Amino acid sequence: MKVVACLKAAPEAEDIGTRPDRTLDLDKAAWKIGTYDLNTIEAARVLADETGGVAVGLSVGGPALASSKLRKDALSRGLDEFVVVSDEALADLDTFQTACVLRDALAGIDGVDLVLVGAGSSDVYAQQVGNELGALLGVATLNGVNKVTPAGDHLVVERPLEDAVQVIEVGLPAVLSLTSGINTPRIPGMRDVLAAGKRPTTEVSGLSAPAPSTDRTSLLAVEQVERAHRVVDGDTADVVAQLVDYLNSVGGAR
Amino acid sequence: MDLTLSDEQQLLVENVRELMQRESWEAYFAECDKNHQYPQRWVKALCDLGFDLIMLPEEHGGLNLGLVTLTAVYEELGRWGAPTYVLYQLPCFDTILREGTPEQVDKVLAYVGTGQQIWNSACTEPGAGSDVGSLQTTYTRRDGKIYLNGHKTFITSSMHVPYLVIMARNADQPDQFTEFFVDMSLPGITKEPLDKLGLRMDSCSDIYLTDVELEEKDVFGTEGNGFRRGIADFDFERFLVAACDYGTALCAFEDAARYANQRVQFGKPIGRFQLNQLKFAEMAIRIDSMRNMLFETAWHYDTDGMTSASAAMCKYHCAKASFAVVDDAMQVMGGVAVAGDHRIQRIWRDLRVDRISGGTDEMMILTLAKGVLRQYQS
Repeated sequence: MKVVACLKAAPEAEDIGTRPDRTLDLDKAAWKIGTYDLNTIEAARVLADETGGVAVGLSVGGPALASSKLRKDALSRGLDEFVVVSDEALADLDTFQTACVLRDALAGIDGVDLVLVGAGSSDVYAQQVGNELGALLGVATLNGVNKVTPAGDHLVVERPLEDAVQVIEVGLPAVLSLTSGINTPRIPGMRDVLAAGKRPTTEVSGLSAPAPSTDRTSLLAVEQVERAHRVVDGDTADVVAQLVDYLNSVGGAR
Repeated sequence: MDLTLSDEQQLLVENVRELMQRESWEAYFAECDKNHQYPQRWVKALCDLGFDLIMLPEEHGGLNLGLVTLTAVYEELGRWGAPTYVLYQLPCFDTILREGTPEQVDKVLAYVGTGQQIWNSACTEPGAGSDVGSLQTTYTRRDGKIYLNGHKTFITSSMHVPYLVIMARNADQPDQFTEFFVDMSLPGITKEPLDKLGLRMDSCSDIYLTDVELEEKDVFGTEGNGFRRGIADFDFERFLVAACDYGTALCAFEDAARYANQRVQFGKPIGRFQLNQLKFAEMAIRIDSMRNMLFETAWHYDTDGMTSASAAMCKYHCAKASFAVVDDAMQVMGGVAVAGDHRIQRIWRDLRVDRISGGTDEMMILTLAKGVLRQYQS
């Protein structure tokens, strides 16, 4: 089975600073593979191994994807090859734009059986790209997937619901968005790191995104306020009631 | 000299960081330290990443990544408060590969990847500390066998290693020193554990040898070469102690710096008081000098060789400077450092021991000064 793991480079969250005007300071933040995308790579590797197939990484983004270290990092985590669509114009796409470029890039990869997407990106975490991509491709699409088992020409997929697990048979090709709990990504060993540089990376150019479907007016950090130092105590129902009363008293709950 | 780490080296370091972030290893280390227990689970996790392959030559299945890489890994592990002092056997296969018989090499390499303790050498005796040459343990040949008799003390790791390389004097020719690769399960060997101030995750014990029967094949290296062999390998061990001390000091330094920014007294963080700022200035200088010295020495090791003087310089400077750093860090942290169970207590105990174990400060000065002065002999 040829499994494509979609991943996004994002700035390391703990290194993002806030300027006095509440804009974000990314100067010190290294760009890394999104946290949830590590689950995607792991799932792709496991499925490829279970089916004697290959795991291909696919990423769309800006110049951060040019980093050889980031590419080796992705490859060392279990990818057989990596397809990169990197362009200044693709640096800050909304989810629909991203899904469109992913669709176009997938058209250039032969024989794709399954596309995996993480629970969300580690910067925006909109959780939309998987579903949008599936709709654009017109294939079976599911999100919240917590287990994938290959079963001949199809997959058996589990989705945790509130108080039950939904088990679905899914035909291929398909696009699945995974939960962050689907697996524990492996930490690459030293041998994997050394081998990563020798695995193929394909650069795709000439792809463009449609016009943005959303219009971002500002991106600001949450305004810091003095802590109120209110402590609620008691059993769960009691605590919830106290919290609601408090929020109503300060006009915060609607 | 460019000490920028390659993509691969940076990724190795980041992966080690990921391992350290995955769980609260500190609780495990505290428990191991308290119980004098080797942190097997942690060492195994490191070996799963390939830690013990870093210095192993490729023809033996290793990666041969060099000492700069190893130093960068030690630095990252140290930063997390990890007991890198227990790892010394894993980058030291060189000694066995150079001196060991094929059988001895196979026995040792069988442990690669397991994270278990393998071997250490045993020189020190009650009457032979820094003065190794006055050791009294003897070997005697009798009926085609070799018999070891004597008493070794302060032998690191000796409670649990399967093999010890034991140095002894020929009973019939007392100026001849030879080492033996000794299976620790042999009859005639008694082990008595010692309590110690620090480095408690590694054992330390007295070893009594009573007519321990060996064969000719158990000679380690060349007969009569024991003294010289030991001295050559001391240099590498000294470097490792220095790298361990630097990393450990970094942990204490960062703990203290975070604390100084957070702890408010007299209306401001204590890091804004000049008496504490002096400590941070001194600590930062020591951290920086240790780092530069270690990476430069490691670069030489990988490129054109490390001298005994520079290994001794690293050990002497880092043991002393790291202890000064942790002492300042403790002062900054006040009651938090000395009461309760903050890891800085363990770090302080561990670093104090390293000014003695692996060669005392005083012996380092001798080697270092000799090496420095020799350069100016006409």
